[in-house]
Amino acid sequence: MIRENTTDVRDFLVVHPLDDVAEQKVETKHLGPMRMTPAVRISLLALRGYLVLMMMLLLYHVLGMAGLLGKI
Amino acid sequence: MLPATPARGVIVRSRWAYNVLTFLMVFGPGLIVMEADNDAGAVSTYIQAGAQYGTHLLWLLLILLPITYFIQEMVVRLGIATGQGHAAMIYGRFGKWWGLFSLVDLQLLNFLTLVTEFAAIALALQHLNISPSVGVPIAACALTVLVLTGSYRRWERIVVFLCLLDLAWFILAFRSPPTVAEVVRNTIIPSIPAGGLNASLVFLVVGIVGTTIAPWQLFFQQSCIADKRLRFADLKWARLDTLIGAAFTILVAGCMMMTGNAALRHGFSFTDPAQMAGDLGKVLGPWFRTGILLLMINAAALGTTAISLSSAWAYGEVKGWQHSLQKSVKDAPGFYGVYVLCVAAAAGLVLIPRAPLQLIILSVQVLAGIMLPSAIVFLQLLLNDKEMLGVRFANKPWNNVVNWTIIIVLFALSLVLAVQVVAPGLFPAG
Repeated sequence: MIRENTTDVRDFLVVHPLDDVAEQKVETKHLGPMRMTPAVRISLLALRGYLVLMMMLLLYHVLGMAGLLGKI
Repeated sequence: MLPATPARGVIVRSRWAYNVLTFLMVFGPGLIVMEADNDAGAVSTYIQAGAQYGTHLLWLLLILLPITYFIQEMVVRLGIATGQGHAAMIYGRFGKWWGLFSLVDLQLLNFLTLVTEFAAIALALQHLNISPSVGVPIAACALTVLVLTGSYRRWERIVVFLCLLDLAWFILAFRSPPTVAEVVRNTIIPSIPAGGLNASLVFLVVGIVGTTIAPWQLFFQQSCIADKRLRFADLKWARLDTLIGAAFTILVAGCMMMTGNAALRHGFSFTDPAQMAGDLGKVLGPWFRTGILLLMINAAALGTTAISLSSAWAYGEVKGWQHSLQKSVKDAPGFYGVYVLCVAAAAGLVLIPRAPLQLIILSVQVLAGIMLPSAIVFLQLLLNDKEMLGVRFANKPWNNVVNWTIIIVLFALSLVLAVQVVAPGLFPAG
């Protein structure tokens, strides 16, 4: 917490964050999982698609390195 | 029990002094996260870009400046608003599957990147005629002692000092500089170097983007801000810290490119930065060679401490362990244990003769390609979570336009990198 000195307006008290009183942060514990709005659902779906594509590319590369692609 | 009044503070008489001092107290995480990203891999990539294409890719760095800032600015808001790390947030809001996926991917990618950091230290030591079997363990011990003091402030001051040592890149860059007109032209006007769009150039461009924006940065800065306990009122100063860090990092990266450009101007071909340092040392003096090698070690040391901490913080958050640099080893054994394990295992792997370093570098590229877009999507979704952040800290519409554009570009580049790695020959050979 950084505060102006109320007894003398010309004075300013500067406090390092680690020396300051801990402030109440945004509460996240009671929230649970995020609500699946259309935007969240589409984003996660796109991410899944991207990951599947990357895995397929990786598999293709590994099969190619193992010399199995020509035999399939 | 938390104290009701500040433990100590400094009284100043003017608003100006108050602002400057507050900024200096908040300053640190932004500079460190950005400059630590100029790690060993980045030194190699930027120098290679300069050695192959001169100053022709400086414009890319200018484009990356706002991109890195906007991404990390989101992390700053999230860290200050929640006081929690990124890994804990993903677990809490996206569930166990995505949380575990992010954590495992982060730990694996971080570890492989750490191996490349120590490989660079070993390479530089070899060229300085110091045995890696002696120098690498010493470096690992020094990097471990750095975090074990139980003081966040001490760690931060030392690391900020290491960041500022990178100012020496300016001296190297201007030892054999291109003309000012050339630098300004190639910084402002995007151009494709002679030879056109080929596989080598595409790979390098994607590599530059990938090395400038790394997944561990998101996890590191948010945890660092939480550990430093930055307050809501610190947001503007933390943003300024991040902006200064981004600008400093991009300037240093430009200097690395200009140092590589010296090799091109003197007709040396590029194999690795240490070899290039040796070649340039013959022309520009032994101090030039020693300077590059020492800065390589400094870059790897910075990368190592930041990446290992991002792993330790992330694991500590998810496991519910004590995870703060303010804690002693006795109070946070798991947190420090992860850090020490990461550093020791990576250093040990490098010392194994014939370790598969090429395979590790390839794995870093592929994993980064997978990790970066997914980490940024989670970040973007968290910053749009008004239920959690409220209007004050959540993204504004203009934030979303900018950030989704960045995400789409990163997705495309990551895909190009992955396709290039798994299917070489996509682009004409360079």
